[in-house]
Amino acid sequence: MKRRRRKAEEPIKGDMTPMIDVTFQLLIFFMLTIKFKTLEGKLSAYLPKDVGVNTTQAEPKEKLEIKLKVIAEGTKLMPRHNLLWTGEGAFRYGPDRVVQYSVGPRTTRDLKELAKRLQELFQANPEQPVTLDALPGIVYDDVVQVLDQAINAGYRDITFVGYDISKEQKPG
Amino acid sequence: MKLSRTDPKTDVGIDMTPMIDVVFQLIIFFMLITDMTQKELEELVLPDAQNADPDKPDPTVVRPILNILADGKILVKRTVLYDPQHDDGYIELKSFLAQQAKRMPTKPLNEDGTGPPIPDNPLLIRADQSTPFKYIQQVMYLCGLTGIQIWKIQLAAAEQNPDQKPKPKE
Repeated sequence: MKRRRRKAEEPIKGDMTPMIDVTFQLLIFFMLTIKFKTLEGKLSAYLPKDVGVNTTQAEPKEKLEIKLKVIAEGTKLMPRHNLLWTGEGAFRYGPDRVVQYSVGPRTTRDLKELAKRLQELFQANPEQPVTLDALPGIVYDDVVQVLDQAINAGYRDITFVGYDISKEQKPG
Repeated sequence: MKLSRTDPKTDVGIDMTPMIDVVFQLIIFFMLITDMTQKELEELVLPDAQNADPDKPDPTVVRPILNILADGKILVKRTVLYDPQHDDGYIELKSFLAQQAKRMPTKPLNEDGTGPPIPDNPLLIRADQSTPFKYIQQVMYLCGLTGIQIWKIQLAAAEQNPDQKPKPKE
């Protein structure tokens, strides 16, 4: 095949088609794999500092303990749709899930009521540390909702209690 | 300037150079924007929280990220460190946490400067909204062990639009 003789002003030499093909493939690959940075948020909390070290006795401050307990598990739904969970992969709980929150002697099953109570308690004693205690059956979402409300009320010193579940599960 | 457009055998039609330039620019753009810090983040459905601080990862700060899936699997940088189906007694996770804790800057235990030094950086826990909290409590327990002693944690949540009302929960 007779090739066109190029002038100095025409810098393209050779057949560009394969390169353009590959380039487009690359472009499509990067366009498809790109995950737009979904900005994630974080909620800061603490763990008991003195566990495992135990050299100094921490001054026992009276802590505000929030207990979470599942009353009704609720229906399992697909993570992003209002369809019943098919039994595979991740799921979420429907609005019929009931969680009981206990703050001291008082209990409530309404997150808004808990939020109100926490705000009142924070006004009364802003320095009080908070502990979150989740009973079995509680999922991450429930804890984040309560943590969110506690932070909203103004609390910053929020501690979790870690449990060694692997020991509890094994008999003896 | 005489171009070969009139010759149909050799005519490319259009000058491809600007298009290739643009395409290369686009490729470079996508390559740069494909943030490599995201590869530590597993695909999860995070719970919504209104008071979550926006998270801007700083690659110079040691902050291990644990991804805990709904079934209790714990992944770090795409590697499974713990699987409840094949319980290894959290040996792998413990050694990972201990190794990360060693890389963190330390501060004395007590605020008055006394006490043994403990790691001062946080650990980010990303869990699916339906992950049983016992798996997270187990991780928190491991964090308190001698040799790890990570005491700052961050729980990942999805940021909600301020105009969106919190979903009603009964």
